[in-house]
Amino acid sequence: MSSISLDKALHNHFQRSQRWGFTWALWTAVLWGAWYVPGTAMWYEEPFVSINNGDHGMRLAATAVMTWIHAVVVLLFLVIWNGMLGKLKDYGRTIMRFRRISKWYALASLCGGPMAIFGSYMAMGYVGPVFAAITSLFYPVVGALIARLWYHEKISGRAALGMAIIIMGGVVIYGPGLFGEIDISENYAWLGYVGGIMSAIGWGAEGAVASRAMDVTDPDVGIQCRFSFEILFWGVLVLPMIFLLTDLPIVTLLVDMLTSQMVMIWMVLASICHAYCYTAFYKSFSLIGVGRGEAIGNLYGVFAVIFVMVFTLDLPEWYFVVGLILTVTGSFVMFREPAENISTLREVET
Amino acid sequence: MKLPQKGFLLVTLSQHQSLWDYELINQAIAEYGLKGNYWINHFSIALDELASAGLITRIGHRLDDGSFIARDRLQFEFALSDFGRERMFDTGLLDSNASSGEFIND
Repeated sequence: MSSISLDKALHNHFQRSQRWGFTWALWTAVLWGAWYVPGTAMWYEEPFVSINNGDHGMRLAATAVMTWIHAVVVLLFLVIWNGMLGKLKDYGRTIMRFRRISKWYALASLCGGPMAIFGSYMAMGYVGPVFAAITSLFYPVVGALIARLWYHEKISGRAALGMAIIIMGGVVIYGPGLFGEIDISENYAWLGYVGGIMSAIGWGAEGAVASRAMDVTDPDVGIQCRFSFEILFWGVLVLPMIFLLTDLPIVTLLVDMLTSQMVMIWMVLASICHAYCYTAFYKSFSLIGVGRGEAIGNLYGVFAVIFVMVFTLDLPEWYFVVGLILTVTGSFVMFREPAENISTLREVET
Repeated sequence: MKLPQKGFLLVTLSQHQSLWDYELINQAIAEYGLKGNYWINHFSIALDELASAGLITRIGHRLDDGSFIARDRLQFEFALSDFGRERMFDTGLLDSNASSGEFIND
């Protein structure tokens, strides 16, 4: 005689999947927020600290070199992760099937790497960091829209409402900082607006594009493929092109970073956060969908403020509390969706 | 070269009308030379992910009486969905000239 009823077991099963999906998405937000501490600290070390704010070429070159080293260290942590999980052989089997499967991870790395990071940097450089943060907050809308149109992911009214409340919470946290940052007389501001759109589209599209390959492959393996391709994009295409077509000192920047103890300490800490943030991000997609995973991941805005507060002991402005209440409310609205509703994430022919 | 593990589960399922999860898990464990509860859970999660994504459909469920994997473990019977078959063609796991069960190396 069984100790539990079949219906109860079924409900427990779907609830467990839902909880794991939201837990992974929450870890994404926590680690992404934590990433901002070493990620920002790096800019206060040589060679970055000596680069003039107006020297956009040099700043972009330094960002490109930094992103490449960052991707290499992230890959090392992913190799450790998949080694411990016994998935390295599956990584080999997956990445080798480039034409039909892993090309989607390559495209995802292009969206989330060069497009989103470069776009975000343009938004930061030509408008301001607050504007860059706010435009990035809209990436779940892009992700959910693409997932909806491309492969009919179910976005219920409750999920859409939760997503809207979370985004509103993020805008409340960062929005007031926009006053005084936007200067409409700035001739190159349009480059920043284009950059902001690029970052929202890049990060939003990444989830939807990667899910195309994750349909038939493991998410842990998928994220390792994605970073392998990002390393190739920066290392084989972008950096050699900058080296060959400009006078920017790519090699000097590379050597300076690799030989700076503090830069490498921050780099390792940032890479640990980023590696496992992305792992959690991809794992959430397969359990709760791209739209929900990205929306909960958006809580990074809250965690970034909290981590910065812990390390600098600077209290945030009062409106942070309002943003915090909104984002938490939005998350609960989403989480309270019945688990059975998201046991199948897409409206497909069976 | 062997298929990625999720691909193997899909190909195995495409060769049958339907299969119970323990049948798929046992075949996968044998294919990749693995053993232990860790890998049973790993393939169970992979099947959950495939079902969430709509590639396979749960067409039956029952509680294990202890004769398959563990007593009171919820078991699912799966069948490949039309969408799953379409995704298998897209990703080269099924040859578009074959009705089922043939896959091509990329």
